[in-house]
Amino acid sequence: MEEYSREPCPWRIVDDCGGAFAMGCIGGGVFQAIKGFRNAPSGMNRRFLGSLSAIKTRSPIIAGNFAVWGGMFSTIDCTLVHIRKKEDPWNSIISGAATGGILAARNGFGAMAGSAIIGGMLLALIEGVGILFTRLSADQFRNPLPPTEDPAALGDPSTSGSGPFGFGQPPQQYQ
Amino acid sequence: MSSDDYVNIFPSQNREKSQNLNISPFLNYDSNFMRKTQPEFIFPEGATKNRGRFELAFSQIGSSVMIGGGVGSLVGLYNGLRVTSLLQQQGKLRQTQILNHVMKQGSATANSLGTLAVLYSVFGVLLQWTRGTDDNINTVVAGTTTGLLYKSTGGLRKTVVGGCLGLTISSLYVLFNLANKQPNFN
Repeated sequence: MEEYSREPCPWRIVDDCGGAFAMGCIGGGVFQAIKGFRNAPSGMNRRFLGSLSAIKTRSPIIAGNFAVWGGMFSTIDCTLVHIRKKEDPWNSIISGAATGGILAARNGFGAMAGSAIIGGMLLALIEGVGILFTRLSADQFRNPLPPTEDPAALGDPSTSGSGPFGFGQPPQQYQ
Repeated sequence: MSSDDYVNIFPSQNREKSQNLNISPFLNYDSNFMRKTQPEFIFPEGATKNRGRFELAFSQIGSSVMIGGGVGSLVGLYNGLRVTSLLQQQGKLRQTQILNHVMKQGSATANSLGTLAVLYSVFGVLLQWTRGTDDNINTVVAGTTTGLLYKSTGGLRKTVVGGCLGLTISSLYVLFNLANKQPNFN
């Protein structure tokens, strides 16, 4: 039901940007809390203070980087939807690669190519896992096979007598 | 034998009574059971009638980030132009300096506005889950706690100021919504 829970295309950019920002903010907060705790001078109080200051200084930056990635990805995705007139996994993979490439544009051609390959492979993995889960979850909704009926049990229609209701069966005796 | 039973046995003779019902008069049951009192809607499993805070959170955060980025970039452009003309920087140096100002100010404003939106959304979603309702009280409380938490590392005075700021902004927003006859919206 993914397609029904997502926003339609121009608004999806805002939604993805926000989702990426929230992910970066919370995940980066946890990451920086641990990192600041380990990096701080000894003493529990200092460690918690170091953790706090690391969260304050670093996690909004990580969140901002995530948001730029998400917004750029979604923009290219929507552009591809508009151009190709269809939504499929290739859109995500292409836009992942393009986002990786564009955002590394200041670092030279080699970095661009590396980021593009990493972005494309990451999105291909995500899409592949999504397709896999759809297959697995679709399997349990499959209808059970109807019981196969052996027509041989009905007997030969050409030889048996034809009663008033008999479709090839001999008239049964009920007494 | 009451008249209703009579209707059940000979429904077609009492046509004016079952006229406004869409059920055939020859069915052998009291068609009053089937009367619909209100329209029925089918919702997906677990869904509510209108979207809650969690569904709106991502778009709120995203629009905060984007608005912050735009406003911050404009402010950075203004600052960069002013600073470079005061320092009488020209040519490529000026261009780079203005670009630096725009990027730094834009990302800083976007990050702080986005962080505020994340905090507000987290508090709003938590309040909605704990209280079970989604109303204007949630908005005000979430706004106030966001202000308190965001300024909580700067000392007691700044914390109180931040909380008051959050309270003011969220109250103004709620009052604006109430004045426009839109109760219970985020």
